[in-house]
Amino acid sequence: MKPAADPEAFRLVIPSQTRYLNLVTAMAKRASLVAGMDDATAAKVSIAVDEAVTNVIIHAYRGESDHQVEIELRFTPDRLEIRIWNTGGGLHDEDVVLPDPREYVKHPRKGGLGLLLMSRFMDEIHFQNLDGRSECCMIKRVS
Amino acid sequence: MADLSIQVKEVDGVAVLRPEGFINAHTVRMFEDALEKLVAQGRFTILLDCRALNYISSAGLGAIMGLIETVRENGGDILLCNLAENVYAIFDTLGFTQLYRVFRSDADAFEALSGKA
Repeated sequence: MKPAADPEAFRLVIPSQTRYLNLVTAMAKRASLVAGMDDATAAKVSIAVDEAVTNVIIHAYRGESDHQVEIELRFTPDRLEIRIWNTGGGLHDEDVVLPDPREYVKHPRKGGLGLLLMSRFMDEIHFQNLDGRSECCMIKRVS
Repeated sequence: MADLSIQVKEVDGVAVLRPEGFINAHTVRMFEDALEKLVAQGRFTILLDCRALNYISSAGLGAIMGLIETVRENGGDILLCNLAENVYAIFDTLGFTQLYRVFRSDADAFEALSGKA
């Protein structure tokens, strides 16, 4: 693993296994607090990270446990940037269609809520595929 | 500490399920099994006491969603109480506080259920 080039960033690489979700979300929460967010906001960031990493493990890697998920946390004076990479394939921004919560409540069904939580709890979410790697970038500003 | 442990008890004819820890994609099967076991036993009024729940992800919400129709068709319901601020935020953000009955405390939930349970 190469160290992050940016001195204000660090990276964690985990196996594509849900057993490590708790570790990653705990780290995301602590990082949010370090960035200056309050406890409630930090909890929301950690949920967004849970959902993003779960998407990678379950959908991009189809539950296969022998891949890697790379998570980068980058601190700037006014925001925390979280990037999650995988090599199993991913979304583009134009693929993202968020369910309407009002319709969801009227016609409940399983699934489809993770992206909605990510979008509601973070300020920005972007997806892109570059050089065989898929990136989910989530940004939370520090007010 | 395990990521999730679940206690189930019966109080005044209501199945009270108390998850402790985290409900995410890793632990959701245990949570789903506990709910399905209650439904299989014909216990259709279920109170989720969330006082020890650190967080619930969309995987856990899906587990509840998957059973809500069944319990309601059988005259029961899934109710929630004692939600921490971040857990409430998840339910509320997705509009689930309109879909489920959420109570500040278990006492409030039992008061609402009295005469029905």
